[in-house]
Amino acid sequence: MNKFAIFAMMFAIAGYTVQAQAGGDPVAGKQKASTCAACHGADGNSTNPQFPRLAGQYADYIVQALKEYKNGGRQNPIMKNFAGKLNEQDREDLAAYFSSQHGLIQPKLNRRDNVE
Amino acid sequence: MRKQTLLRVLVLGLGIAMAGPALSAGDPHAGRLKAFTCFGCHGIPGYTNAYPNYHVPKLGGQHAQYIVKALTEYKEHKRSYPTMQAQAASLSKQDMEDIAAFFQGFKNN
Repeated sequence: MNKFAIFAMMFAIAGYTVQAQAGGDPVAGKQKASTCAACHGADGNSTNPQFPRLAGQYADYIVQALKEYKNGGRQNPIMKNFAGKLNEQDREDLAAYFSSQHGLIQPKLNRRDNVE
Repeated sequence: MRKQTLLRVLVLGLGIAMAGPALSAGDPHAGRLKAFTCFGCHGIPGYTNAYPNYHVPKLGGQHAQYIVKALTEYKEHKRSYPTMQAQAASLSKQDMEDIAAFFQGFKNN
């Protein structure tokens, strides 16, 4: 009974996670990301430090940022040009692709090794 | 006598000028302390803000130069998010450099 309950909970959590990421298609996103690659790197790990890493970033944050570049909430002429051409599905797909790549991490305050 | 004083001023000025670029680079140790407030949101895995609702971005391993740029844009209201505008308003250029150097130092492995 207990084992079954745990099993069911794990399934529910896994299902929820999949559903939360269901908006974008990372495979389609990879194709659409060819323009982004020039500055942000093919996998979203930019080598030029003036352009942010996108690899591993939260998908919904990427979607939000792209919307803001488009609507002027963020003022950046280069990104306004690119983001202006994207529809909601494009944003979701790009975000799904970059968020699935290995890169950015959640910082932890108690970790000292990053400054040693 | 006057020439000597002038020389001293020149040498001192040169020293300060040379120290400038070194100081402008961020110090991750200082940044660790200054970043304490940031962790209230950016340090919680999966944390989302209230409205509009999306995840607060991951900063670990992000390029320092970009973090400084983003903070500067919040300070100058070139980015619209009010919470970050308020946070960035109190930061000096040096604070931004230090905080950015700290977050850049996190490595994904």
